[in-house]
Amino acid sequence: MKHALQINNEVVIELTLQRSTVYGCLARIYRKEITADFLPSIRDPQFLGVLSDLGSGLDAAWFQRPEGAVIEDLAIEYARLFLGPDKHISPHESIHHERGDGDWGSFWGASTVDVKKFIEAAGMQYREDYRDLPDHISVELEFMQKITEGERNAWEEEDTAGALYCLNMEKQFLEEHLVKWIPRFCDAITSQAKLPFYREMATITKRFIAFEKENIDAYISEAHRGKRR
Amino acid sequence: MSQLTRRNFVRLAVASGALIAANEGFESQALAGTIRTQTGRDFSPETGTERKAIPTSCWQCVTRDSMIGFVEDGRLVKLEGNPKSIRGEGFICARGQAGINHVYDPDRILYPMKRAGARGSGKWKRISWDKALNELAGRLKKLRDQGHPEKFLFHYGRMKASSSALIKGTFLKAYGTKTIGNHTSICEGGKWSAQEMTWGGHYDNWDIDRTKFILNFGSNILETHTNHIPVAHRIMRAKVDRGVRMVTFDVRMSNTAAKSDEWMPIKPGTDQAVLLAMCNVILNKGLTKGAGADFLKFVKCTAKHDDSVATKIAALKKHCAPYTPQWAAKKSGVPASKITSLAVEFATTKPACLLTYRGAVAHYNGNEAERAAQMLAAITGNIDNPGGRCKAVGAGWKYPKGPKAPKTKGLKINDGHPDKGHPGHAAYPTHHMSHWTLKMIKDGSAGRPEVAMWYCYTPAYANGETSENIRILKDEKLLPFVVASDPFYGDSTMYTDMILPDATYLERWDCEDMVDPNQIGEYYIRQPLVKPLGEARDLGDVVCELAERMGFPLGVKSKEDFVKKACEKTPGVKEAGGFEYMKKHGVWHDPNAEPRFFSYKEVILDPKKQVCKVGGYVYTDLEDPEGICPYFGDDVLYDRQAGVWWHWRASKAKNAQEAGKKGFYSSKGAYKGYVGTKLGNIVYAGFRPDKINKSGFLELYSEPLKKKGFNPLPTWMEAPEHQKMKSNELILTTFKVCVMTHSRSTNCKWLTEIYHENRAWVNSKTASARGIKDGDKITVKSAVGSFKTKAHVTENIVTGVVAVSHHLGHWAYGRYASGNKAPLGRDDDPDLKQQFWNVYGTHPNWAIPNAPDPINGQQRWMDTVVTVRKG
Repeated sequence: MKHALQINNEVVIELTLQRSTVYGCLARIYRKEITADFLPSIRDPQFLGVLSDLGSGLDAAWFQRPEGAVIEDLAIEYARLFLGPDKHISPHESIHHERGDGDWGSFWGASTVDVKKFIEAAGMQYREDYRDLPDHISVELEFMQKITEGERNAWEEEDTAGALYCLNMEKQFLEEHLVKWIPRFCDAITSQAKLPFYREMATITKRFIAFEKENIDAYISEAHRGKRR
Repeated sequence: MSQLTRRNFVRLAVASGALIAANEGFESQALAGTIRTQTGRDFSPETGTERKAIPTSCWQCVTRDSMIGFVEDGRLVKLEGNPKSIRGEGFICARGQAGINHVYDPDRILYPMKRAGARGSGKWKRISWDKALNELAGRLKKLRDQGHPEKFLFHYGRMKASSSALIKGTFLKAYGTKTIGNHTSICEGGKWSAQEMTWGGHYDNWDIDRTKFILNFGSNILETHTNHIPVAHRIMRAKVDRGVRMVTFDVRMSNTAAKSDEWMPIKPGTDQAVLLAMCNVILNKGLTKGAGADFLKFVKCTAKHDDSVATKIAALKKHCAPYTPQWAAKKSGVPASKITSLAVEFATTKPACLLTYRGAVAHYNGNEAERAAQMLAAITGNIDNPGGRCKAVGAGWKYPKGPKAPKTKGLKINDGHPDKGHPGHAAYPTHHMSHWTLKMIKDGSAGRPEVAMWYCYTPAYANGETSENIRILKDEKLLPFVVASDPFYGDSTMYTDMILPDATYLERWDCEDMVDPNQIGEYYIRQPLVKPLGEARDLGDVVCELAERMGFPLGVKSKEDFVKKACEKTPGVKEAGGFEYMKKHGVWHDPNAEPRFFSYKEVILDPKKQVCKVGGYVYTDLEDPEGICPYFGDDVLYDRQAGVWWHWRASKAKNAQEAGKKGFYSSKGAYKGYVGTKLGNIVYAGFRPDKINKSGFLELYSEPLKKKGFNPLPTWMEAPEHQKMKSNELILTTFKVCVMTHSRSTNCKWLTEIYHENRAWVNSKTASARGIKDGDKITVKSAVGSFKTKAHVTENIVTGVVAVSHHLGHWAYGRYASGNKAPLGRDDDPDLKQQFWNVYGTHPNWAIPNAPDPINGQQRWMDTVVTVRKG
């Protein structure tokens, strides 16, 4: 029996779509270097305008340079920050997530296993052509994108129980994983980035995770209230 | 950069949307598949393989929460609440989650067994089902053929809904015995009897979702209750979300009292005094105005049912006059000012909900405590109203009818002793007196069973006077042949002659029907999560075969067949998809149903409005607005004394004239013919009587009690033994904890790991007077026996009391419960090596006498006078 959904369904659907979109965008940014296909969206005045309104220090003129030069500079910065071979900031949870059991600071640590299990238990699989480690920041953000998409679908079908199922999963993953390491990871990028782009993206990421942490309980309470009505 | 505000977040989302619109294909993604949002599905965190999710129902306690069982590779791995259930809303308790332990208990009985030595010696041999059933059917058939089916005693501890309908309502009925024992009198039967004397059919549902104040007398509702989780989680929600205040009266600071806004320590057996005093305060302050006075129209407060409300209030006021707060304070230890302020708070907070349970009713005066509670709720208008104490609503399954049954016969051994004045006598044991059954068998004056069968029942352990119980169970002259249907080698099963290995509740079928806190009614089922282990068989299946062997087939092949037919017959469930729907979802309720309140106000006949509902018909073409009888038919009589319309043929009277002359109150079985209650010219549904000939009014003035020489209005009674206590004596009370059921959970290793020692709670003053320090060994002794334990010295219990939980101290029931291996027990549970505890607690029933409430027969668990000494 589905519980009648009486909270404002459209608002909830819109909110969930927005959250999903931000997760998806951030996942893409950390996933790999900026490509020629992707660059126009970044250079778009709308995108840069929003970042500027958020207080970002991105210089629009820097992006208006020839496409090849911008892509090249960003690729070098991406490699320097996330890939190495010199000292870099590994974008993997098991490196940064300071666990009580001391099992952290290396690749394929306990957090990696936890993340993989969590994702697979939720019904997702790693694509066969995905070669990086299971706890890459882009995977974790993409996973949140997928759960929030699932939540949106549930709301659209007026399946409050299903939406709550997703929300609880979002809360658990957010609190057990993202919150545990991404803020620290972002601080490291902010301090070590040479180009403003990744520095600003890290700042936005940190702010967004904080925003999510602050609001997730309210989303769940609201859904419970709808369920009980 | 500024903090992310909601407005900025929306702008960021818009910008992000533009970015991810860039089509880079799947190569920018790491994950495939979709999130599975269908609740009730799960995947193993270890292997990622899908677990089969099967809706079913719990049976650890009578709450019977809807659950989902997860099965992986044929093994049950997890139990959780069914989120589709409107009762439980996805919650179950620790006991429910540990149900898995039953299935895989290494001390489970997997094969039929027959005694091979002296009864109780522990010598057994395995036999085949065929041999077991041949022997049992042979013995039972012989009794039946001799015209003595009543010499088959069937005694159950827990049997509900379809199990009861099939085993009791079909098999035992068709067999012809009504020598059937239950266990309600050692649970809360007295509460139900008192309700039957006041508002008829028993069970009060507390409408927590709508209440604004909760006043609790002796219910440890947050830890244990007949509707535990559905009510408990609503209480916590009410407290957290709506700030609803809750006040708990208890001798001990239970976890419920601890979570309440106020704990009111109270002396044992004095809840009634406080309840009466609260009524006194409310009546004297005129706080019955409004809802209370309105409701009193439907209440009988004097000998005349049609007195005015003012007369009724005056009568109650006069009756309660001696019960001042100061008087109650002396009795109970609760300050008079507190009694007054809580009475005012209860009367002026609308709606308010009054809770009572064993703490208030398992006493000598339990019947009167519950009646006093009904009075308090009635005079404040908190009966059957949103937010109040309501008439329970459950599912109404329609079960298949069994074969034509002979007239049943019964031995009068389950209702206490028949002689008035005998210590085992009760005036109205409407829920029987199972704790007196063994004594009646020993007594022999009412005959003895030749075959006795225990089903989910442990008479040795569950009743008081453990030593005597064991002596009787071992005596083959008193009980010539005893068989148990039990999945485990329990404390009483060990004293039988044959054991039929029962399926656990996670391996069997049932329709279920427990009360819905929403006042709607939820239908739900239990279905097997795994096949019964070994050769275990559900007794529901076994009785089908037994009946077949004795030559009276029941018309169903198995319990599954019975449940399937019920699903196909029951209105609503049938249309929703019947058996297949229930197997898939586990639960069903009418989505259009409104919560049921004020059921007594339903109009049965209103000549002016031309409404008449009789026998399922609604008449609307009333020609004679002044006449009533023609619409009810000639067989329905009006009884002026009771104000009741009733169908005389339900009684034993030979004709209408005789029935009319004898009257409703005095005609045996008249309550079964109740039609409605007349107020003015309108006939209302009223408070339908059940088991007792009371009127359709809520009877605070009880004609049945008056008839048996008791005061008709709720009147203070004090246990005789409490009136002559010596200064060194204490009162022993018992309680339950949140991880155990009374007698059926200590074999669950997860629970016993948590709770395996039960020290006796004693107040520091009480302890120091006896030279007892925390952790000291102590002996608790009564007139019937004694037990040893350690002292838990605390301020969280009133003085003059010793309190011990009653779950532990088993002498059988497997290694986790008692340390003793069952015959044919296996050693294949790796956790046997992990068991770190080697204490198994103590059982207080060795020292508790079987003693009934003189009105309703309830076992008085909380009245025992004891001495406590160090050592």
